[in-house]
Amino acid sequence: MRRFIILYLGLMVMPIMLPAQEKILGTEAQREAGKKIYDQKCAQCHGEQGDAHSVATPFFRPQPRNFTSGIFKFRTTASGELPTHEDLKRSIKNGMPYTGMPPWPEFSDRQLSDLAYYLKSFYPDFGEYGDVQPVALPKPPAYSEASAERGRIIYEENKCLDCHGNSGRGDGKSAPTLKDQWNQPIRAADLSKRWTFRGGPTRADIFRTFTTGLDGSPMPSYNIQPPEDQWALVDYVYSLGQSERPNYATMATAKGITEAIDLGRGRALFDDAPPALFPVAGQVIEPGREFYPGVNAMEVRAVYNAAEIAIMLTWHTMTADTLGRNSPLLPVAPFDPQAPVAQGGEEFSDAAAVLLPSKTPEGVEKPYFMFGDGKNAMDIWFADLAKDTAEFFVGRGSKNIEPAGNGGLSLVSQYEEGEWSAIFKRSRVKEGGLSFEEGNFTPIAFTVWDGFNRERGNKRGLTSWYYLYLEPMHKESPLAPMAKSGLLTLVILLGIVAFARIKYNGKA
Amino acid sequence: MNYLVLAPIVLVMIALRFTRLNILGWLAVWWIAAYLAISYGIEPPLPSSIIGMFMGIVTLALLAYLTVRTDDMNFVKRAAIRFLTDKKYTLPLALTVIALPLLAAFNVYLDAAKAPQPPAAGRTVHPPPPTEITFKGKKIDLVNGVNPYRELQAEDPEAFRAHLANGRKVYFQNCVFCHGDNMEGKGLFAHAFDPLPANFQDPTTIAMLQETYLFWRIAKGAPGLPEESTPWASAMPAWEHFLSEEEIWDVILFMYEYTGHKPREKEEVH
Repeated sequence: MRRFIILYLGLMVMPIMLPAQEKILGTEAQREAGKKIYDQKCAQCHGEQGDAHSVATPFFRPQPRNFTSGIFKFRTTASGELPTHEDLKRSIKNGMPYTGMPPWPEFSDRQLSDLAYYLKSFYPDFGEYGDVQPVALPKPPAYSEASAERGRIIYEENKCLDCHGNSGRGDGKSAPTLKDQWNQPIRAADLSKRWTFRGGPTRADIFRTFTTGLDGSPMPSYNIQPPEDQWALVDYVYSLGQSERPNYATMATAKGITEAIDLGRGRALFDDAPPALFPVAGQVIEPGREFYPGVNAMEVRAVYNAAEIAIMLTWHTMTADTLGRNSPLLPVAPFDPQAPVAQGGEEFSDAAAVLLPSKTPEGVEKPYFMFGDGKNAMDIWFADLAKDTAEFFVGRGSKNIEPAGNGGLSLVSQYEEGEWSAIFKRSRVKEGGLSFEEGNFTPIAFTVWDGFNRERGNKRGLTSWYYLYLEPMHKESPLAPMAKSGLLTLVILLGIVAFARIKYNGKA
Repeated sequence: MNYLVLAPIVLVMIALRFTRLNILGWLAVWWIAAYLAISYGIEPPLPSSIIGMFMGIVTLALLAYLTVRTDDMNFVKRAAIRFLTDKKYTLPLALTVIALPLLAAFNVYLDAAKAPQPPAAGRTVHPPPPTEITFKGKKIDLVNGVNPYRELQAEDPEAFRAHLANGRKVYFQNCVFCHGDNMEGKGLFAHAFDPLPANFQDPTTIAMLQETYLFWRIAKGAPGLPEESTPWASAMPAWEHFLSEEEIWDVILFMYEYTGHKPREKEEVH
């Protein structure tokens, strides 16, 4: 009898419950449509069961989200709450830059919605607690310098620099110890590169991120009062980032100077040289693969005078690893997807290298960008940052690299607030080798090893081929060629007029 | 195609049909219309060197048209001579004689002020394949060869699905970093490479290639490319060092399955 009463009561309530549930969990048909997309496009990384047990999981850091945990980073809801339906759709649509999660602009709003309904089915609590209310996210007021300046104080008061570092480069003192909810190492965002922000680069995105926190990561939510201070912090973080999109270059320009190149001047030597930022990718091409490189970009500047050339590499890294050693020759065991992520230790130091063809190339042919090949050798200017002298290698392929003294290179390096700079200097002319001539384009590539990530040998970050251009010191005035071409045209025109007048005058 | 630009051009040219314009005006309108259509009517825009080449051809074609009728030729000749000799045109003639040399000089100035451009390397995207390759000591025929597991699709769907599943695993452990989740060439590291990783969704890539061609490109990678395809710059690994023959055939099956493209059939030689 009691069973019937419960059933009866249940049937009474059902018509009220169902629409509410449907709003949150969708209809059977919607979830089914979502599953179809999920199985084709998402399951490879997030797992057939949504638990992030997949063939691709070990190859990505941060790892794909485990939807059965009910923990979601990007939400408009309070810390610890489930995300709204729109939050899930936004995360799928925009993706998370510089992670394995791409944006999915090709999904229609309806497909995004179906997918979001299906994702919720991996975590039963969505049914009970899924009707979440977003926190108030006001419209951003206008940016102001004064507000950004005050934001620095809020940044310090809230100990943001413990993880994100004094200059915001992700190098705070706690940064190397950070782990996520699943005990996986995680890095604090480099606030100077807004384009890498997983939750988005706009001021509204920054506001949402620290107001609601990134659940599952060490980034908590902050309740900053009064509200002006919230926007001050947003403006300060915003001011640290250069731009919404990275301004990647295709060539670096070396500036001619008349004075001596004194490495003692350090970075000041390059004050007038334009910076060129190049993207760095993991070396996933040959054995010794690096799926999650510690460095994602390298900035390059160069100066030269009559006799010498100096090239400065700068890059951001969480810690200065100056213990241990590094070399392009060090062996690397094959990647083991089962092994836990190894990091830290004091075995390997940070290192970087400039890669150049060993001879000035004729035509467009270059050495293979992976340390050269049998036909075209590559010069490797190498800086092990545990040492204060440069090393020189000649590469004819990753398995055929030979040390060759110091190649006439001098080196100074410096680490400051999350940023390494390494300056190489060499004579511009090399008998029988690569010389740097004014007005010429020299192919150039770079590679960088993050010692904390245990990068060494062929486990490294690398760039493609770019060009280094030695901007001529004295730009030739265009006046002479201008006068020449003008006068030539004038003579021809006068000739035509004279010819016509003599031949046809009065006869036309 | 930018129809917002092309449509008015076509309308003007049709309108031109009903006007009585002399041959000089007619040539000028055609030349300008061709320039506007080539420069602004095509998406994505053509490089300026190509536009210059096309306009050269258009100019020659218009001149050829002019020479077809003697009346037209004489008309133009008389007009030119009048312009050069008649006193009533002295002022415009003088202005032309001054303006053209100045324009030439200005052009030289623009050239000098241009930012220097690195040497451009042309690149053959789909070079002709060799007739056969050696894969781990085994000869693979690229002309008459076939994907040995393709026939399972009809004969043993169960086994075919197992090969697809294996290909999916291979793709998401090896290829995804550059070619991306959706096979559009937008993987995590793609932006750092030049040439950019191939976009398999694009109908001009795997959809127009034989499966054996893919096998060659996957097995031999950048180092196996001929010179005209810049083997020194391509980041495509030589997968023969990582993958077995079966794994490569499986990932090829999966690439066609995922994108919905059909491989090009092998050429019948008659």
